[in-house]
Parts: sequence; structure tokens; C-alpha cells
Amino acid sequence: MPGNNVVERVRALVQTFLETDLVRLRIERDGGHVELRRRASSRLATAETAEPQTQAPPAENLDEIKSDLVGIFRFSRPAPVVGDLLDSDRELAYVEALGIRNPVRSIGSGRLVSVCCDDGQPVEYGQTLFEVSRT
Amino acid sequence: MFKKVLIANRGEIALRINRACRELGVKTVAIFSEPDRESLHVRHANEAFCVGPGPAARSYLSIPNIISTALITHCDAVHPGYGFLAENARFAQICADHGLAFIGPPAEVIAMMGDKATAKRVMREAKVETTPGTDILESVDKARRAARDLGYPVLLKATAGGGGKGMRVVAGPDELERAFNSAQNEAEASFKDGRLYMEKLIVSPRHIEVQVLGDNFGTIVLLGERDCSVQKPSHQKLIEEAPAANLSDKGRQSLLAMALRAAQAVHYSNAGTLEFLVSGDRVYFMEMNTRIQVEHPVTEMVYNIDLVKEQIRIAAGEPLGYTQADLKPRGHAIECRINAEDASNNFAPAAGTVTNVVFPGGPGIRVDTHIYSGATVPPYYDSLLAKIVAFGETREAAIARMERALRETVIEGVNTTIAQCLEVLATDAFIKGRYTIDFLPALMRRDDAA
Repeated sequence: MPGNNVVERVRALVQTFLETDLVRLRIERDGGHVELRRRASSRLATAETAEPQTQAPPAENLDEIKSDLVGIFRFSRPAPVVGDLLDSDRELAYVEALGIRNPVRSIGSGRLVSVCCDDGQPVEYGQTLFEVSRT
Repeated sequence: MFKKVLIANRGEIALRINRACRELGVKTVAIFSEPDRESLHVRHANEAFCVGPGPAARSYLSIPNIISTALITHCDAVHPGYGFLAENARFAQICADHGLAFIGPPAEVIAMMGDKATAKRVMREAKVETTPGTDILESVDKARRAARDLGYPVLLKATAGGGGKGMRVVAGPDELERAFNSAQNEAEASFKDGRLYMEKLIVSPRHIEVQVLGDNFGTIVLLGERDCSVQKPSHQKLIEEAPAANLSDKGRQSLLAMALRAAQAVHYSNAGTLEFLVSGDRVYFMEMNTRIQVEHPVTEMVYNIDLVKEQIRIAAGEPLGYTQADLKPRGHAIECRINAEDASNNFAPAAGTVTNVVFPGGPGIRVDTHIYSGATVPPYYDSLLAKIVAFGETREAAIARMERALRETVIEGVNTTIAQCLEVLATDAFIKGRYTIDFLPALMRRDDAA
């Protein structure tokens, strides 16, 4: 990747990611990591260490965590509860599809505002699983 | 019979399959992309799941999401429709691997017929005449030698091809290298398989195809032929009719005999179509489509058989229950494809919103469509809006009925091919039934010049 500056490298990674059909990419290295997720609404991919978004956030800064595949929704243990303070990368649940466990993470810190699915419920692509307040 | 079928498609064919399932007492699961959330096929299915965003690669071609949907909804079978995964042997095999019946022929038959060069070799071995041609050509030099042996003009074609992609006419040796490289690149981009083969170009042929049905007990029947020669320059069909006009009894017998030999050679089961090029008295096998075709309604009208129901019954293990002698065609049927395209701009697709729609009715008219007032036409998929089918006791009656029906049809908000269809129906060539695949391109050039 060009240059040694972390922001430059992440910016290059985001650009490369957008040119693919990947929906999620996580790179762990030397105790740190970068994770990119493509939102179901087809907005630009976000990176944990990327520049802040230029769009004005909603008044409550409510973020929807959506499923990016079809499968069965299951809570991770311990099961998340409304009001939980989430750290930057907590696994909240997973979507089981074709025998594969696909983690659903908080993608940044915040407070859990809504749990939108029941354990064992079939979910579709783009279905809202959780709402997280980022303020 | 199946309890529940997943319909792995969209648009009018998804609605068509849903109707067949409902009439058989089979529950249905629809899949849809985000832009198709308000589609009719979604509304009319028992259950529906979003499988991805607009681009087909991430939705209607997303095998994991489609299989996952089928499994979590406890489907028995998957109907692939046409296009998308309908002729994807890997998808058929994955269905089988997950205990889902694939409503179509076995994966190995799809694979064999899906490779055009292999299909032609199989047909030659079965003494089915094919267009003079070659196997895969690995280099421009081999292509050059082959073209010299066949004699120009020749046609370069992608072995994994369809829809006119990866196809180039080569009039003479000066054009060969550029055409070869261009076709190879297009085939690689479209099908991830750049392999090419060559055929002698048959000048001004008719495109006539034969409908086949086979069950899992070895019974194969033919449901006559369809003339699909009214094609755009891109080789996509605009108007089809059954039976073919001005086909001699000898020509028809030869065509049907060849189709039966071809289907038997691969032990075909379920619905399929054998496509031929007909030039004078010569009939050449072109390719086999191992799926239901867009134009299947004209055959259904003439034979009074529901082909999609037969597909489902066959896949469920039921015998056909009738023989060739039981099949007696009656009358004549014509289908016009109404696409969201601008015919005055080389049929460029026209996405948008249908603001108002009125479809024709009356005796002998059938409309297969997924659109309604307020429906959106997304930019991601083929541009078919509706198929209008007219049946008459004679060909003349069918043409008159189709003209009447097209004039009753109102679709506002997007450009359509209605005017183009009316123009074709009024030509001397179509009225007399004397047209080839060069007919519509020549008509378009004449219109452009005017």
C-alpha cells in the first residue's frame, strides 16, 4: 500500500474494497484491525478508522445494523439487551446460513436501542436486526 | 407432488410459475431484489424473501442466498424460470446436493447442452445435422485455417454464449483477427469463458425451434415448432408464432424428426427447446435451451397444454401420461414481446415508472405480465414488460386479433415496442409469412433511412 501513514493506507483499502463485490472485509495485524462493511442500502462502505462521514447524521444518530444475507438469526452469548453499552466490535448475534455462522457485530461503539429480531427467526437480506445509538 | 417451490426468478415468468404452482396446490416462495420489493410476483407468492440489492450478481444470481431461502422456508423444489440460473449446471447440482428438486433437466444434461461446441459434437454423433463448423479454436491461426476450409462468410461464437454476446460475423480474412480478439474479450467478460468456435454463416436463414417435453421414464414428446425469425439486430426475439408459416410437410417432418433424435440422444427430461436454422430445405441444429422459453405461450395456446405445470409434474416424478399421438395442435398463435425499449434508438433499454397501463382482452387474447400502474422498471434486468399472445383459428385471424389487441394496449411512462410490433405485422413479408432473421434489421435500416 502507498506510504506508511495509516489514514492513507485505509483510504486506499476503502477504494480497493469499493471496486469489488465484497460485502465485508476484516484485516487483523499487529494487534489492530480494520473492518469494512458494505451497507445493504448500498451507501459507501465505512471503515472504523476512515474519515468521518460528511452527511449530517440523524438527530438521534440511530444506526441500523442489517443482515447482508438470508438465514436464521441467533443471539450470541451473552445475548444483547436493550440499553447495553457496546464497545467497538462486539458480536451481538449471528446469521446461520448453509451451516455457516456469519457474525453480526456492533461495528463501532454505542448504546443498543432496539433488538429487532427474535432468536431463531428467519431473516432476509437488508432486514434490520438491531438499532444502535452512536451518540 | 411438491409441497412448496421456490421461484428463483422475477418478473412475468415468476408470476407465471406462481400461477402454475397455485393451480397444482403447491405453496410458493418468491425471492426478490430490493428494487423488486413491490413486484407482483412478490405479492402473489405465499412467502417472499429479499435476497440482495438491485444488481443481479448480488441478488437473482446469489446462489447462497437463494439456497438458504429455500432451506429455511422448507421448500421441496426450485423452479429457475428462464435466464439467471436457469441453465447453470452448478446451481442445478447445488440444489440436488441440498435435497432440493431442480425443476429442469439433470445438471449433467444442462452442462452438456450449455457448452455450445460440445452440444454440436453430441448432435453430430447422433446424426443430427449441424451448421458446418469447428470445435474450440485455440488461436487466431487455427481460426484462419478453419475459415478457409469452411469458406467465408463465417460466424465466430462463444461456446458459453447466448443472447448474441461473443458473436461476430466475419466476411473475409482481413476481418478475422480483430473479430476473433473482440469476440473472445466479450465472451470472457460476459460468461467468464472466452473460448470460441466457428460456423459457416448460413445466409438469411429462418430461426425455427421445436418444443420438447420428456419425463423421467423415457417418454419424449414434441409440441411442434415456433418461428422466431423476427429478431432484433442483437438476435433477441420480438415476435414469435406457432406453427411456422410456409413450412412444407416434408420440411416439418424433417425438422421434427431431427428434434426427436436430438432429444433422445441426450435422454432429455423436463421442458426444453431445440433451435434450428432453416435455409430452403436444409435444416441445421443450432443449440438446445434446457429451460422454459419466453415464447412458450404460443405453444401452449396451440396445444392446450400448460408447459410450466408439466415441468413441475415431471420434476415431481409423475409420468407425462400421454403420447405423441395424443397431441393434436389446433389453430395459430402469435406472441409480441412488449419491452421497455426505445425502438427509434436501436432498442436501447428504457427504465422508469409505468404511470398508466391498460391491457387488451376479448376472445383469444392472453397477456403474461408483471407490470401494473405505478410499477417501476428497474435498470438492472431485461426490459420485458409483457407478452401479448393472440390465438386464431387461422394465421390470418391471429394476425388480425393481435393488431386489435396491440391497438387496445396502453403503457405510459416508458417507451415500448408496441409500435414496432404493429409495423412488423403490417408488412407484406410478415403477412405472407416469408421472412428470415434479416427481416427486422432490414426494416429498421429502412426506417432509419426514411
